[in-house]
Amino acid sequence: MSGYRKYFTKKILWFAVTFIVAVLLNFILPRLMPGDPVAVIVSKNAQGMSESTAVIEMYKQYAEEFGVNDPMIVQFFTYFKNALRGDFGVSFSQYPRKVSNIISEAVWWTVGLQLPAIIFGWLIGNILGALAAYLKKGFDKVLMPVSLFLSSIPAFGMAVILLVLFAVKLEIAPTSGGYGFDMIPNFSWSFIRSIISHYQLPFWSIVIYIIGGQALGMRSMSIYELNADYVKYSRFLGIKDKKIVSYVFRNAMLPQITGLALSLGVMIGGALVAEIIFSYPGLGTTLLAAITMADYPLLSATTLIITMMVLITTFAIDFVYGVVDPRVKAAQIDS
Amino acid sequence: MRNTILEVRDLRTKYITRFREDIYAVDGVSLKIEEGKSLGVAGESGCGKSTLALSLMGYYFPPLHYTSGDIIVNGRNITALDPDTTRKNVLGKEVAYIPQAAMNALNPTRRIIKFIQDVIKAHIPEMSKQEVRELATERFRILGLPEKVLDQYAVELSGGMKQRTVIAISTILSPKVLIADEPSSALDVTSQKMVIKMLRDLMEKGYIKSMIFITHELPLLYNVTDDIMVMYAGQIVERGSAKDMVFDPKHPYSKGLMGSIIVPEPGTRELELVAIPGTPPNLKNPPKGCRFAPRCKYAEDECLLHEIKMKTFGEGREYRCKFSIDYLTEKYNNGKS
Repeated sequence: MSGYRKYFTKKILWFAVTFIVAVLLNFILPRLMPGDPVAVIVSKNAQGMSESTAVIEMYKQYAEEFGVNDPMIVQFFTYFKNALRGDFGVSFSQYPRKVSNIISEAVWWTVGLQLPAIIFGWLIGNILGALAAYLKKGFDKVLMPVSLFLSSIPAFGMAVILLVLFAVKLEIAPTSGGYGFDMIPNFSWSFIRSIISHYQLPFWSIVIYIIGGQALGMRSMSIYELNADYVKYSRFLGIKDKKIVSYVFRNAMLPQITGLALSLGVMIGGALVAEIIFSYPGLGTTLLAAITMADYPLLSATTLIITMMVLITTFAIDFVYGVVDPRVKAAQIDS
Repeated sequence: MRNTILEVRDLRTKYITRFREDIYAVDGVSLKIEEGKSLGVAGESGCGKSTLALSLMGYYFPPLHYTSGDIIVNGRNITALDPDTTRKNVLGKEVAYIPQAAMNALNPTRRIIKFIQDVIKAHIPEMSKQEVRELATERFRILGLPEKVLDQYAVELSGGMKQRTVIAISTILSPKVLIADEPSSALDVTSQKMVIKMLRDLMEKGYIKSMIFITHELPLLYNVTDDIMVMYAGQIVERGSAKDMVFDPKHPYSKGLMGSIIVPEPGTRELELVAIPGTPPNLKNPPKGCRFAPRCKYAEDECLLHEIKMKTFGEGREYRCKFSIDYLTEKYNNGKS
């Protein structure tokens, strides 16, 4: 057991180091972009002002407020200290809103869209893949090329196809937004209906994309497991097929957990495409806006969330695997 | 006279390849094993030994198919049963199997005890988990396996331990016939010894009534089994007691097999290694007459013309060759001088 504990202590240390490096990079990289965001804000607010000294004064005031005059290293420590408290500063592009405020509003749209879509697509993909491996013949011959086709269309391609087909041609779904543009969020039936109808296209564009890849992976894993020696041996011991199939799919499923965890980890990055194409009000859209407006605080915070999620999910995979797969656990104790 | 536990009459099974060709890997095998006896099956790779092991189970799945013949276990013809009945009432319970590669024979993600529970549940559903554990604990203790293995996973066991665990699992329901397909081939000598001892224990304590032991290591057979049968190209070519077969083989193929044994003793390096020239025939188109004729140094043209039947001689011995025993003995003696 001590080997097991040592393994995870080492993991946690690496986790901490990666985290610090990630925070540093998240801080520096956006600030290396060309452009002066303070000037952008000043020019917006100074419209109609004719006196240049006043504008310069205003520029100085904003620069002071954002702290951009301090050396980079001082800025970093201020940022790091505040970030630990959950304060990511004030957004440049949506001045004077706080970054934490913008994110906490957008994040639920993304989680609400992505989490069910990823889990649903993963489940359906795995079931289809397992069935294809088990039933073979016609089912496999149809599913295999379809999955290949679906998984090789880029995510934005699928989103655009759905958009053109269902929203533009058939007009059975709205083209963009999280809810009707003429509505104010409330708990009325018409609002919920609007949310649901706006939900469909981005949701299915993600689901379909995920199904293809997962089905392919599960199919080949299941075929591999179905031909394993233990299947033959179990048969010759008279164990029922139903039981053997449960062995096979449990074992085939194990590598697929990685796929699920990784897509959950890159949820926000993955959301970019679907959210941008359908103008869905989630973090993906926020991220794009932050990039185009050189909004460092917002950009840093969003990328930090992405980093954190990837880190946490990879750590969780390691831990979960040790619990569900004795082979992995043995390898972890050995290392 | 002892009870006959297993009787096989003219069994034929075939593989159907992807190109829809039939390959008869077991082509007319008959044998009989009495209670408390063990039979060794020897031959080169590709002679149909492992296929015979699979065929004797009476349960077939692609690419192996049953063609004809009978397998009678304890008076019941299991080839006449429908597959589901065979699976529930015969496999693991009457006829048990030890696979060639025990390394991967156990489900890697299931504890040994859980797997034993699954095996027993398939045959005796009314047995409780507690009873299964008691049975398994007792059996493991008697067979000299540590009890803690029950709560481990296959990955946590060494190769020898895995093999012995597989043997204990296969025989947990005290089957009438145990078919062991090269159970010790991949093991070091110490583990090999333990496996052999375990199989003997099983026989002596009456947990199994008879055993078929398949191997290409002939010296091993001499130490383990009562009788030996040599297979070539899907057919039996010679059968006799272990002693007779090792020290006085008659069929040219058996003769060649015994001659190929390498014994580690002084002077082995200087000895010229004897091997049978050539390889077993492709069973897609086996030779028409004697299947060994193309590789046999005593073969004559006539050997290839007609199929050759098994002939009996001496005490319970049989062989499949055109020539008489005297003729062969003389040939062998001439070869020596």
